Amino acid sequence: MLSLPQLIEEDVAVLDAALGDLITRSEATAALVIDKGGPLIIERGNCDDFDTTTMAALAAGSYCANQAIAGLVGESDFSSVYQQGVAHSLLVQNVDDQLLLVVIFRASLSVGAIKYFAASTTQLIAAQLSRARERAPDEGMDLVELNLADTSSLFQRREPEQQRAG
Amino acid sequence: MAIINQATRELQVKIVYYGPAKCGKTTNLEQVHANVQNVQEKGKLVSLATSSDRTLFFDFLPIEAMAIKGFKTKFQLYTVPGQVIYNTTRQLVLRGVDGIVFAADSQWDKMKENVESFQNLEENLKNLKLNLADIPYVIQYNKRDLPGAAPVDYLEYLLNNRDVQVPSFEACASKCEGVFETLNMITRLLLHKFINESQRKAA
Repeated sequence: MLSLPQLIEEDVAVLDAALGDLITRSEATAALVIDKGGPLIIERGNCDDFDTTTMAALAAGSYCANQAIAGLVGESDFSSVYQQGVAHSLLVQNVDDQLLLVVIFRASLSVGAIKYFAASTTQLIAAQLSRARERAPDEGMDLVELNLADTSSLFQRREPEQQRAG
Repeated sequence: MAIINQATRELQVKIVYYGPAKCGKTTNLEQVHANVQNVQEKGKLVSLATSSDRTLFFDFLPIEAMAIKGFKTKFQLYTVPGQVIYNTTRQLVLRGVDGIVFAADSQWDKMKENVESFQNLEENLKNLKLNLADIPYVIQYNKRDLPGAAPVDYLEYLLNNRDVQVPSFEACASKCEGVFETLNMITRLLLHKFINESQRKAA
């Protein structure tokens, strides 16, 4: 399985510009690049109204479930998943083996137009990720230099009296 | 594989709670969600469950903590559905996993299910071209408070009897006992694994 390469500022700038361009041209509300494992990589647009972290986890799960369904009907994959809503609709489009593009748009917009604009965006994202993979894998970031906190009690439980008070 | 975004200085890791049906995986996440304090940010606990409250797809809880100074460390906690029929779903949830908590049910009559679930975990990882030996994991022996609980030594013999023994914890997740100890240990194991791998590559 391919793993996501480390992203440097150049990668994020390219992805950010690609999403910005998609939103401008398609009039979509927001666009996200997510990992198929669930994490959100980058978001652009009017994201404050949405819990994008949770959306990324659910969209990835939903897309991957649909791939399993594709196999059951003899398809190698379904390249996109479209959810139609009353106010907002959602398009999840495959980028490559690792990533997905999620576009949130007003339901009054045509999904065909969104798909048309998303196609070139996914190509841009895939090309940049390919460049990032070719780069020296450890370039630019050394975890050894990171300042790891004492993780023995990173997550602390509230004391019972705090629970009663809260 | 953890996601490292150097530009935004973020590290995202995925921890999956695995185990047989009704062993307390969802309860672990509920207790973390209800009782965690001093974290940077705690998201909503999302449960995709059946009408009878059994996990259908997964539970998901995002938490952000300051594990590495100057870095946002985002932990994504998932559970899998324990019921045998949902194996395809379990494989999907394991995609991109960085650390695993295997939750076992301590009751005597659940031993077969514990062992089968552990074997199922290994098989599903193999299908994803992953090997359990390469992934940090801990074992939690849940439901220690029930009268039909088997001795921990026996559970260790059944589930933690490999070349390298992993940390294991006794727990009563419904009372939040052992829940945070388990989570802190898997966090510690997987963060130290990243550091060690980085050191090896740098050498």
